[in-house]
Parts: sequence; structure tokens; C-alpha cells
Amino acid sequence: MVQLKPDNEARPLWVAPNGHIFLESFSPVYRHAHDFLIAIAEPVSRPEHIQEYRLTAYSLYAAVSVGLETKDIIEYLKRLSKTSLPEGIMEFIKLCTLSYGKVKLVLKHNRYFIESHFADVIQTLLKDPVIQECRLKRDSEDSELLTETVTSDKSVLSLKKPAEGEGENSTQQAPTDVPDDICNYYEKMDRDDEDEIDTKTVSFEINQQHLETLQKRCIELDYPMLAEYDFKNDTVNPNVNIDLKPSTILRPYQEKSLRKMFGNGRARSGVIVLPCGAGKTLVGVTAACTLKKRCLVLCTSGVAVEQWRSQFKMWSTLDDSQICRFTSDAKDKPMGCSVCISTYSMISHTAKRSWEAEKVMEWMRKQEWGVMILDEVQYIPAKMFRRVLSSVQAHTKLGLTATLLREDDKITDLNFLIGPKLYEANWLELQKDGFIAKVQCAEVWCPMAPEFYREYLITRSQKRMLLYAMNPNKFRACQFLIRFHEQRNDKVIVFSDNVFALKSYAIKMGKPYLYGPTSQGERLHILQNFQHNPKVNTIFVSKVADNSFDLPEANVLIQISSHGGSRRQEAQRLGRILRAKKGAAAEEYNAFFYTLVSQDTVEVHFATKRQRFLVNQGYAYKVITKLAGMDEQADLSYGTREEQAQVLQKVLAANDADAEEERMMGDFLPRGGQMVRRVGSMSSMSGADDALYMEYRTSHSKNASSHPLFKRFRR
Amino acid sequence: MVNVMKGILVECDPAMKQFLLHLDDSNALGKKFIMQDLDETHLFISSDILDTLQNQINELMDKLSFPITTQ
Repeated sequence: MVQLKPDNEARPLWVAPNGHIFLESFSPVYRHAHDFLIAIAEPVSRPEHIQEYRLTAYSLYAAVSVGLETKDIIEYLKRLSKTSLPEGIMEFIKLCTLSYGKVKLVLKHNRYFIESHFADVIQTLLKDPVIQECRLKRDSEDSELLTETVTSDKSVLSLKKPAEGEGENSTQQAPTDVPDDICNYYEKMDRDDEDEIDTKTVSFEINQQHLETLQKRCIELDYPMLAEYDFKNDTVNPNVNIDLKPSTILRPYQEKSLRKMFGNGRARSGVIVLPCGAGKTLVGVTAACTLKKRCLVLCTSGVAVEQWRSQFKMWSTLDDSQICRFTSDAKDKPMGCSVCISTYSMISHTAKRSWEAEKVMEWMRKQEWGVMILDEVQYIPAKMFRRVLSSVQAHTKLGLTATLLREDDKITDLNFLIGPKLYEANWLELQKDGFIAKVQCAEVWCPMAPEFYREYLITRSQKRMLLYAMNPNKFRACQFLIRFHEQRNDKVIVFSDNVFALKSYAIKMGKPYLYGPTSQGERLHILQNFQHNPKVNTIFVSKVADNSFDLPEANVLIQISSHGGSRRQEAQRLGRILRAKKGAAAEEYNAFFYTLVSQDTVEVHFATKRQRFLVNQGYAYKVITKLAGMDEQADLSYGTREEQAQVLQKVLAANDADAEEERMMGDFLPRGGQMVRRVGSMSSMSGADDALYMEYRTSHSKNASSHPLFKRFRR
Repeated sequence: MVNVMKGILVECDPAMKQFLLHLDDSNALGKKFIMQDLDETHLFISSDILDTLQNQINELMDKLSFPITTQ
């Protein structure tokens, strides 16, 4: 049984025995508790008043890696909690944290070493057969363990601190009824970080090819490795002359996230999660400026490469000659550059490259990169991108993302491919402080036109998707919303995953559209017009624009078709309009996110599924069953039966290929349920329950009857 | 000879009417149940099918909703 403390009202937490933690966000010590919980637990759901977190092995691992210790975690949790801590939770924390953080993976002189303060831990690891295999044996002279003494001092992050300090003072003065022990302890923990350590370490070298196996094995052995880089004392790699411009000011949350990364004077790898539009790029640029070593930036598309380049020029003292782009269109001379920006596909490309590209790749492989910044890191788990990590060597890896989730379970792979999650921002708070736009999310219900619904019920193929995307009522709703917002001088982006629908909508309304096959030049042309031309207020885009498409002007987003129930896509799309808008009143909504849903179709199911992530971030969806004023506008398209019938004809004439979504890299979801999971007993599987098996052939028999001459042409 | 059948007047939105027509066409309930197609939003159906029909519609709705509480 847990005991309720007498002063429970002043304490903000309740720790449930299943590892879930509930936090009152209206508590006076909320700020402290929140920072602490972000460090040790995963946020599950963060609406306005009560937030839910969960302790997991990985989150505790992340806590240890940013410098918290077992006793600190338990002690502080005890003090914050309204009740005494459940026994099981204390056990769990101890179990997860005691062995963590003892082993470090260090990259020195282009070679990887495993390092630890504890000789016995190294001995244990060496006894493991898997690890033995990974160990690199150079002849016989190196088989001895290397011992050395390392001194590290903290406080490297040369950032402007006063702003942050003010913030903390004001929060500490305000609450008077806060139990002293909470504040004091937190300060002490903060200070602990600044001490100097003098330690002896033991290390051995490992074979780079087995790096991933090794990391996985270490997690299995309960000694996950922390990847750290002592960049201050790295004399082998030359320092790069790069600094933030004096005019560059970091927002408090950006600073906090970077402080986690450079916590103890070394740089550690990890992932920083910030909403889109909250300035992830600036975090990346600042990290590069702090390390002052050669930096490699990887992003998802050529457009994003250009964006990173202009951001580097905007925030830091770099000029053109120091930035090298490596994409299929632009290949700058890499020699002597300090920042290289490329795309994932460019680096992981395995087919034959041009001679020029091959030279650049060779150069890149030879380099010892100070930091590798991975934009939109949720893509990384795919096999293709793993190659990136093994082919290029970097001391630290910084992952940046807005949505650390995938519909498959590959997201945990990030823990050993890159590192733990260092920081995750709270969307609602950023919105409140005006760092990101205040968005009204709405789900607009469009009744299916009867003829369309009839076809929908009969059709079983991919075409169903076309039918609900092309629903005339949806078209009218879309047209109405575009008109309404254009009158308000808003900038509208319309998203459609389905290219057929995308084209039909855009052509019918006479708006520009862009999708996968659109050439780079045309893309830039359309985007520039959208930004600067007052006559172009609406563009139609396919899912190419989901990630890293920076359109700061856009403030209205209409979604007409989407990629099934993907939460990530929903969040990424919302991100397109999240960039803070200028000159808007703080309490009003200044951005709008509409999802058009055809009623009574699977879209309803998808819509709810997609919304889960944003709902957990505290967003509320408004359901609009009928758009007020739509009936008065007589000149909307497809008003009559005849017109609707024509559309239907067109849709039915389209083939299955049209109905498919545009395929892009990064989609690894299994399509259309080819796999089915059934529950059954072993005996019924083996035929004990009167199960009958029949042998049948379908395609084979057809082939047999055809002329042998055609056989060779068939595969 | 005179046949007497008990019927029910159904009022629904146009899309739902299409669903009912679809059930009727595809014999999903084992037999034909629509006696008269009146207009856009009205149908006249036989009354003994009512329970099964309601189940079918509930099933459709269940299929489309997503339980948000389960992870």
C-alpha cells in the first residue's frame, strides 16, 4: 500500500504502480517536475491540465545518459510524489539504471573504442562470445587493455545564459507553499552537473563493421553504451572557424535541448524532438557551431538541402565557400569545406555513381566528422539508411524530428542507431508562448453523394479510395473553404496523397499543383509564386510536401486524402502551418487545419486513427458536420446531378494504378493487409480438429495450357 | 389473390439509402426486403427484417469507428 502524504496538495505527481506518472500542470512546481519527468520518462499524453508520462527502460537509460544517477532519480521522484513510491517502481528504476551508463563508445583517431571506468565491467563484456568477435585484434601487441586517465570539465556550451536564469528566478519566488526540499534538491542536481571529474578508464578497440551488432548485444547484456565525443580535447581533427552570428538568439527550449546534448563537456549522440516550425534547424546549426568540427547534415530531399544551406548562412558566420552541397543536382567541391549537406538517398546509394560523385563519397568516407546531423530522423530505421550510419563516421549523431513515431515498431531501433531521446518539447506550451502558431484543427464531414456511395459499396479494389477522395460533396467543401480563406487573404495548401484526385481538383479549380514527377525548377517556381505573388494563394501538393517543405506564409491546410491511418503524416502536415505567424493576437487561432472526411466510408476510421498523436499532444479537433454558408453559394462546382454523374464516369474510367497513392521513399508500411494474424491452437494447426486441407492451383493450370513458346516470356 | 405484408417506412440520408439498397441487391440478409423505393430519402421495407437490419447498420458503424482509448 502507498501512503498519502499530509502535504500532498503541494506535490504534483502520482506514480502509479504500472510505471505511469500523472502530473498536475497547474501545480506551482510544475516547471521543475516537468523538466525532471521529461528527462526520466516518456510523455504519453499532454493535454492542458493533467499530463501522463511513462517510465520505460529506454527513458531511464536516456536519463542516465544525461547524467542523472539512480539515487537522484528515486529521491527526487519521492519528493515530488503525493504518495510514497510503490515498491515495484523503485525496484524497476534501480534495475534499469544501475548497469546503465557504465560503458561508453568513443571514436578516437578514426577508430572505435569501448571505454569504461569499471574494469570489471569491461572484463564481463569481454567474456561474451559475441563481443569477442566484434573486438578488433591488431596482430598481438594490442590485445592488452588500454588504460588512461581522463579529466573532463563541464560548461562548454557557450550560450547566452542570463535569459534562462531570469526565468528560473521568477518561478522560484512565486510559489511560497512549495515544500523546500523540492526546490533545494533540484538545484543541487543542477549543480552536480558542473563538477570536474578525474577518472581512470579502461578500453579496448572494436571492429567498425560489427558496430551495430555490438550495440545491440550490449543492450541485451544490460550494459547499453553511451556514445560520447570529447571534442574539446580532440587535436586530431582541425577546428573549424564557425560561430553563431551575434544577432542569433536561441529560444529557451532550444537552449535547454542543447544543454542536454552538451551536458558534461562532451557531446553525446541523441535525438531532439521539437515540433515542426519550432526551429529545429537552428538547433542543428548551433550544435555545429558549438562543436566547431566538420559537420555533415543529412536531410530527405533536395529542397531541404537548399533550406539547410540558407539557414546556415542566416544564423552562422559561414559563407558559400565553406558549405558544400552533395545532391544529384548540385555538387560543390568538397575539399576544404567545413559543412557538407546531402540527402539520405545520395549517401546510401549503392548502384554505380558518376566518377565525380564517387570521388566525393570516397572523401566523405575518409573523413572523421565531428557531428552528423540527421534531419527528420524518423526515416532512419529503414535498412537503406542504416548503411548511411555505417559508411560515414561521425563522433556524434544528432537526430532531429518532430514526430518520433512510426506505425511499425522500428522506432526503438533509434536507441542504438543514434542514441536516446535527449529532449522532447511540449507543443501546447510552445503554442502558448507564441513560438508556434495556434492551430484550430477541424474535421469536416462531407456526406457521400448517393451514386458515389453505391459504387463504393460495390467496389472492392483500390478504386474505393478514388471514390471517397473524389466525392463531389468533398470537392464542394474544399472549394468553399478555399474561397472563404482566400477572401481573408490567407495562404492555403491543399494536400492529397492520391495523384488522380490531386490533378482533378487542381485542374478543375485552376490552381497550380506539384507532385513527385514535378521538376525541381518548376517546384521552386511554384513555391516562389506562392510566397510572393498575391494572385497565387492556393497550391495543391501531394505527399512530397509532407516533410521539410518550408512555407512560412501558409496558414491554412486542407487535407483531402491521406496515407491511411498514419499519425506521423498527420503531425508532419500540421507542421507545415505551425511556423509562428506575425502580427496575430495571441489568444486567437491564427492557423487552420481542415481534414475533409467522406462520411460512412473507411476515411472516418482513418481520421480518428490519425488524430491520436496530436490529441495526445493536447490538440482538440472540432467536428464540423455542415459548413455554414455553403448552400448560399450557388456557383460551386458539381452542384447538379449531371455534373456529378460525369465525375463518376471519369472515376470509373480510371484504372487501378490511378487509385494508388504516390509511392515514395520512406513508406515501409505493409500495404493492404496481406498478413493476417489468427489465434489457434497447436493441435488444430496440425490437423487434430478435423481440419481438411485441399491442394489447389490457380495460376499454374492456366500457364500449362498455353503454348510453350510463350512460357519463356512469362515470369 | 391478395397478398398482405406488413411494412415500415424508413427515412434516412441519401447515402444510407444506398447502403440499404446495396444490402438488398447483394442479398446480405438472406432475402430481398425492400418493397418500394419511394424517393431520395424514403424506403418502404418489410417489417420482419428490422432487427437484423439494425445489427447490420451497427456493424457498419463499428467498422468505421476507431477505439481511441486502446493504444
